[in-house]
Amino acid sequence: MNDPQTTLSVLDSLNTLAGGLFLLTAFGIVTTRQAKATLTLFITQSLLLAASAFLLGLRHGSWHLYGVALVNVIAKPVLIPWILRRTVHEEVYTRREIDQVLNIPMSLLIALALAILAYFLTVPLQRAVAVEFRGSNVPIGFAGLFLGAYTLAVRREAVPLLIGLLAMENGAFFAGISLARTLPLLVELAIATDGLIIVFITAVLIRAVHQHIGTTEVGSLAQLKEQVAEEAPEEAVR
Amino acid sequence: MSQRILFNLLQVLVVLVFAPLVAGVLNRLKEIVQSKRGPSVFQPYRDLWKLFHKDEVVSEESSWIFRVTPYIAFVTPIFVTLLIPVLTSYPLFFAFMADMVGGGFVLALGGFFKALAAVDTANPYGPMGASRTRMVGFLAEPVFIIVFFTVAFVADSTIPYIVQKRWMSPPANFLEPSHVLLMAAFVMLILAEAGRIPVDSPSGHFELAMIDESKALEYSGKSAALMKWGGQMKLFVLLCIFLNVLVTPWGLAEKLVLGEVLLAIPLVLFKILIFVLVLVVIESSLAKLRLFRISEFLGSAFITSVAAMIMRLFAL
Amino acid sequence: MNVILLLALPLAAAVLSCLPWRRVASCVTLASSLAVLVASVQLAGQVVSTGPVVVIPKWIAVDGLSVLVLLLIAFVGATAAFFSWGYMSANSHEPRRLRLYYANYNLFIFSMLAIPVSMEPTLVWIVVELTTVCSALLVCFENTREALEAAWKYVVLSLMGAAVALLGFLVLFAAMQAAGGGTYTWDGLVAAAPTMPAVLLQTAFVLILVGLGTKVGLVPMHTWLPDAHSQAPSPVCALLSGVETTAVLYVILRLFPVLTAAPAAHAEVWAMVFGLVSVAVAAFLLLRVRDYKRMFAFSTVEHMGIILLAAGLGTSSAHYGALYQALNHTLTKSFCFFAAGATMLAVGTREIASVRGLIRTSPAAGASLLIGGLAIAGAPPFAVFLSEFSIFKAGLAGGRYLAMGLLGLFVAVGFFGIMLHVNRMVFGQSEAGETPTLRSRLPASCVATLCVAALFVIVLGLYLPEPLHQLLLLGGTALER
Repeated sequence: MNDPQTTLSVLDSLNTLAGGLFLLTAFGIVTTRQAKATLTLFITQSLLLAASAFLLGLRHGSWHLYGVALVNVIAKPVLIPWILRRTVHEEVYTRREIDQVLNIPMSLLIALALAILAYFLTVPLQRAVAVEFRGSNVPIGFAGLFLGAYTLAVRREAVPLLIGLLAMENGAFFAGISLARTLPLLVELAIATDGLIIVFITAVLIRAVHQHIGTTEVGSLAQLKEQVAEEAPEEAVR
Repeated sequence: MSQRILFNLLQVLVVLVFAPLVAGVLNRLKEIVQSKRGPSVFQPYRDLWKLFHKDEVVSEESSWIFRVTPYIAFVTPIFVTLLIPVLTSYPLFFAFMADMVGGGFVLALGGFFKALAAVDTANPYGPMGASRTRMVGFLAEPVFIIVFFTVAFVADSTIPYIVQKRWMSPPANFLEPSHVLLMAAFVMLILAEAGRIPVDSPSGHFELAMIDESKALEYSGKSAALMKWGGQMKLFVLLCIFLNVLVTPWGLAEKLVLGEVLLAIPLVLFKILIFVLVLVVIESSLAKLRLFRISEFLGSAFITSVAAMIMRLFAL
Repeated sequence: MNVILLLALPLAAAVLSCLPWRRVASCVTLASSLAVLVASVQLAGQVVSTGPVVVIPKWIAVDGLSVLVLLLIAFVGATAAFFSWGYMSANSHEPRRLRLYYANYNLFIFSMLAIPVSMEPTLVWIVVELTTVCSALLVCFENTREALEAAWKYVVLSLMGAAVALLGFLVLFAAMQAAGGGTYTWDGLVAAAPTMPAVLLQTAFVLILVGLGTKVGLVPMHTWLPDAHSQAPSPVCALLSGVETTAVLYVILRLFPVLTAAPAAHAEVWAMVFGLVSVAVAAFLLLRVRDYKRMFAFSTVEHMGIILLAAGLGTSSAHYGALYQALNHTLTKSFCFFAAGATMLAVGTREIASVRGLIRTSPAAGASLLIGGLAIAGAPPFAVFLSEFSIFKAGLAGGRYLAMGLLGLFVAVGFFGIMLHVNRMVFGQSEAGETPTLRSRLPASCVATLCVAALFVIVLGLYLPEPLHQLLLLGGTALER
């Protein structure tokens, strides 16, 4: 039980488990109705990212990854919800989306298809890197990226859209901790700070939208578009 | 050989005797969580005794299906008990009669007859409940199939005893993502099949909202007792499959010794008790879903099981 | 030294703009942007004569290509600051909002200036995200429903692109590690390029092209651009359309020398396809616009497509043409948005349909709109004509007849679209009564800025000064390696 081979395989299994749960939270963010629930799922996802970074650090003995894990545990589960609660009005969190652009079972199936697509796309990538860099992180990271983008396409409420953005970044990072292991810690810190500033500005924007327009269903704001063909004859008459 | 037959029958006996106890414990715990005193844990036994001593009233409009169904609902879980590991980790005498898919079919047979019997009486609530059960059933079918498929893919077999070995030996196997995701999907399945919250309210009395209960509304006396007992045994059997194959494959008798088998009984009951606690927490903290949201619930179960399959297929 | 000054000045100005006295914010902004312009001209001279300037090794340095972009940012920053002076006071905002505007303005300039000086790709990514963040509140400055919608779309789409680009940069890092390590800077990437696995390089390039292409406005990720670049106040539009898109396109262009080492990546094909599609879609959508600022915004999409197409052609004269086009586009587009701002001040509405006969009601606005429209559409004797001509020449010399033919067609369609609208606005007869006139006299600083910017547009249309030529050549070689 104590020989290094078993420890390594247990670490690998745990890492893959974290990946599987990461994928589940990405699916959850696409379909959960309540705004608060998406925030909780995002926090879970960030903790899983930190766990995976920690496990990879244990497995490969890399200090950078421990730092990544620490930064993730502090910045995302703690600071981001704090910023959001301070900036956006409490009422926004009680919103639920009755309808999305597609109905939820259909959304889930498309999300599944996207996850499988991500796996297929990353097969040549996995072959191109050295053996110790391979693993489940890269496909799951790509899947997280695609699912976050899909969330942005189908949801309408502001807070879930923001969470979808942050989930995309989580996905990019999840793939990154496996690929770019020795990225300088300074860069990681800067990216995390950047993330906080982004959340702050977007929250300010959401507050402005809430104040001036009255609703936070930003996905249905669609005033600005080009002229449709039928309106042109009316214009000429005028 | 005779010992194997004996242990198999012992398994059936255990299921018969302890299924109402599990139902009683579940009810009592739920009531305690709601700050009530709750009925005694042996109340289901008293209910069954009472029902067996009552007269039966059978509608004249009903056919043979109505009369036969209680027996089928009683026998099918017993049949499945013969196939699954309840007390032992090695296959017993009847274990190769059918595998997990076969067991699933047998349970579905019971459900099929129950639904038909509900329609048989021309009571308006019966067909309503039957159609809703079918809706939940057909949404749960893909999840079942995917779960069985993934399990079979992982363990190269569909016999529960062989599958169970796979999760036991290298400890790293237990933490495989396909395993964990399968467990999550299976819990959601249990909630759907056994008619617990959030799919259906087992203690509700409002017929218009019933899914599972309304199928048994027309029965009285001995038939009602058999239907109730059959329902309790079905839950017990599902829990045995879940716990003894997927979650905690340990604690079962390893050798062909009566003492070990008898020792396995309290261990199995203990495992079931722990899961009942989890079930009580789930039931007390969620609300019953609206009927058309059940498809989303089962959709997420489907996604979870397919995710488990994907993670396995890509050999991760 | 100059570089540090360049970066520190806008930050200081941002802080000082929050001081509560009346004219402090606008004066401080103007002063700092002029100082930044002077510093960047000096820096340009230094780089052309002595070579790249290194401030922090491996992180911050300035070479030929980056100093060109720096110069453009500084120039438009200065002219837009000057234009803001008159424009914002004419619109009579309350002082607190004005201070917010100027503080944001300076932060935006700072973040844009930081793009060319960063040599490490992830640092560049961080700064590109910063530009989105700093300009978001500027875009929704007017607080109308449309402005908020535009700002939301801008933020969401840009950040979406940024997440994709982040993954691209991380894959690029992995490619570099697989090639045997080295410093993760633009130069280091070019050095390690021959041994990088092609698959990783290709994936990274596609991800970065799609991700940063969202910020540049390449089709089909351009949907936020017409909204954001029309709803913002005009000086901010000049900054956004004129320099920000160019600065982010510069980042994409930095990848080209890395990709010449991996011919299997088909970088040129991707660039040419995206470029042509952007030009085509923009040109055809130009025919349908209802709002003259949106018209100029679509023209930005078109020109970004042209620059990307030129960079994708691959020859050194094409690279020269791409940089020349970037230079001319920045100067001309900022002038166009100043003209649009003047028109907005004169008429009070953004709709093309309600503006007729501008040359009669407000000669300054009308004349500048006419010059701007002609210039950006690519008519001689203005700057854009010369650079487009050089791109055509380079393309035909390289044998890309189909691409150049299509490009010519789409540019002609765009020309027709812009001239149709501008002509009607400037010279047309108004059908239903008089064109609404808000004010007949434009603020002095606006007129002055228009004159200065027009001067550059016209002069560059006649000939290219030698120092600029040297700078463009230097930039071109940076693309070559």
